[in-house]
Amino acid sequence: MTETTTEEIVTQSSDTEPALEQTPDDRQRVDDDVPNVIRTRAMNVFYGDFRAVADVSLGFATNQISALIGPSGCGKSTVLRSLNRMNDLIIGARTEGEVHYHGENIYADGIDPVRVRRTIGMVFQKPNPFPKSIHENIAWGAKVNGFKGSKLEMEDLVEQALRSAALWDEVKDKLGESGYSLSGGQQQRLCIARAIATKPDVILMDEPCSALDPIATLRIEELMLELKREYSIIIVTHNMQQAARVSDKTAFFNVKLSEEGMRTGHMVEYSPTEKLFTSPRETETEDYITGRFG
Amino acid sequence: MSLEAPPRPDQGLFPTDQEYDSLLGRRNRKAQFFKVFCLLMLTIAVVALATLLYTIVNDSFGLVAVVNQNDPDDVVASLGHDPETTTLNDLSYDELVGLLEANVSSGVGRRLERDQRFYEDRLVFESDEVWDEICSSNEPPAGCTRGPRNTADVFSLVQERVIVPDVIASYPLAQSIVNPEAFEQEVAAGFEAGRFGDYTADQASIEWRAWFNTTFLLAPASATPEIAGIRTAILGSVWLVVITVIFAVPVGVGAAIYLVEFAKPSRFNDFVQTNINNLAGVPSIIYGMLGLAILVRVLEPFTSGAIFTTGPAPSDNGRTVLSAGITLGLLTLPVVIISSQEALKAVPDSLRQAGLALGATRWQTVRSQILPVAMPGVLTGTILAVARAVGETAPLILVGAASFITADPTGPFSKFTALPIQIFQWTSFPQEEFRNIAAAASIALLILLLVLNAFAVILRNRYSRRIP
Repeated sequence: MTETTTEEIVTQSSDTEPALEQTPDDRQRVDDDVPNVIRTRAMNVFYGDFRAVADVSLGFATNQISALIGPSGCGKSTVLRSLNRMNDLIIGARTEGEVHYHGENIYADGIDPVRVRRTIGMVFQKPNPFPKSIHENIAWGAKVNGFKGSKLEMEDLVEQALRSAALWDEVKDKLGESGYSLSGGQQQRLCIARAIATKPDVILMDEPCSALDPIATLRIEELMLELKREYSIIIVTHNMQQAARVSDKTAFFNVKLSEEGMRTGHMVEYSPTEKLFTSPRETETEDYITGRFG
Repeated sequence: MSLEAPPRPDQGLFPTDQEYDSLLGRRNRKAQFFKVFCLLMLTIAVVALATLLYTIVNDSFGLVAVVNQNDPDDVVASLGHDPETTTLNDLSYDELVGLLEANVSSGVGRRLERDQRFYEDRLVFESDEVWDEICSSNEPPAGCTRGPRNTADVFSLVQERVIVPDVIASYPLAQSIVNPEAFEQEVAAGFEAGRFGDYTADQASIEWRAWFNTTFLLAPASATPEIAGIRTAILGSVWLVVITVIFAVPVGVGAAIYLVEFAKPSRFNDFVQTNINNLAGVPSIIYGMLGLAILVRVLEPFTSGAIFTTGPAPSDNGRTVLSAGITLGLLTLPVVIISSQEALKAVPDSLRQAGLALGATRWQTVRSQILPVAMPGVLTGTILAVARAVGETAPLILVGAASFITADPTGPFSKFTALPIQIFQWTSFPQEEFRNIAAAASIALLILLLVLNAFAVILRNRYSRRIP
């Protein structure tokens, strides 16, 4: 029912700076002119009565890497999981406000979360391959989503996904082996390959490198830069250098003690990465990125 | 709702948006179908359980037609009380003994007294000379050493010997509620047809009876269903639980700790493991055979208590609650081992490594870090296994549970009966009323199991430590 709008004709847009930095008060405003693949409007996430994050309004640009950084408990993972309705799986979790994917609210009535997750894939903190063969790990997602190709085309798809995840050369001779036979870094790349084999539009990554060594981390980062030509990537990371290395734009989240004494996360600043790390607008941001954070 | 993604060049092999719509519809319908299917399966399980409960409860309560040999009112009146204000329950101990004295033949009275005397200082049925004689004989009866009877005991004797209530017909609960008149008609028709022998219709009274009541729980077994109780059986079952736990828990948990934490992989250990798994599937009657052959026969000096005393053995053979408890312990052992192993294996390895990396020995790590985390699982598995064993009948029959016994078990070397044995026995009797008390005893058994399971839940919650 959604007709293609001009918004969906996508161009590389890192130079089309949004009007975010007009005044400090405007810092949470999202410019509607920027081609955003996902945009949240006044999003609040609750776990029961506890408000985990408050009033997040953010736009994530198409074919860019957007990073969410901040101290533990600031709600950045919560925000990420809200973007493909993975929070629905947590009992008691509730998302208020709107999350727009290509202009359509994914929390609207009648939107099937299965469909949302099929288009907005996810890679988790700990590598979580299925206890099945490498081939099956990748093929299953395509199969459940109605892959129409022949067996041969499936093999092509698996190869293509593994190549995209820069894993093909390492596993091409042992596709029948268990996903668990791989090293941690390889398992994580397998999970990325698994996610892209379903041809999603956006890939969410929740601290994808925190369980990996620096070499494996580097490979995943290279992979992300590779993948952003085809996919929009949103990544949560604890590692500020990582955010600085890979992302185009960075949102800094912080915790604030609410009036009821609850630790609620909120977004402090959202700027192009280079700007956020060199000349942050907020002192809170500066304290955090320079390590003066309490 | 479409949630369209911008077209991608390589999407040819994937469904188009329209195709995806119908595909998603089909997938969701399938998910819905299986959800309903699983719900249906749950319903079947619940209905089965409900039916089970219904049958038991249905037989445990309901209308009965009773004929009393002696009307309680007349009995009370014979002692000079007003039947309007006084009931049998209000009579004193002396009055109750007096009723027995007046109504029971002297032979029966002497037997009762030899079993347990009525007064500390005087005899009611026996003469002092005879009493001294039999008490100084080689095998003195229990009454020579036991303390005197109590009021509840004598009250049930009066019920049994003086009032002698006879339930001539009974009706299940559901029909008693829905159609009580039908029962009255049935009883009246029965009298007309002469089915109730010498009784006449005006002797019978129709009343509500809860077969499952406190008197039933507290009274010892009896050959008359109206006054039979399950105190002996409950105490027997409790003793069995205690001995089973004392035997199965240390042995089972110890074996599991060795297998999981200490044993190195070897042919022998694999062999042991396989055999434990197989033992869990051995039918319980075979454990009964084992108990009979080894515990009752070979280890008789131990299970009858003979080796613990220089005098006469507490029991004249090995068919004691100790034999039965150990047999049930052996029966539960494989399950205890397996569930404890599973609980121990579920503890993350990182905890073991953390303990060992601090320079603790393996046992210190197991004792202080692993076991506390595994404890809820160990306890749950153990208690569920024990609860299973409490309901076992076959091995107890083989080991020699007494089919009729009125003396409570007083120690591990007592003769005993147990709830399932009692139920089994009663259901095989021809009188219909035994079926009612068998159902009532089933309720007691279910409650006992419920208590054990609740205990498991409480312990699990208490010991639960969250692992992130």
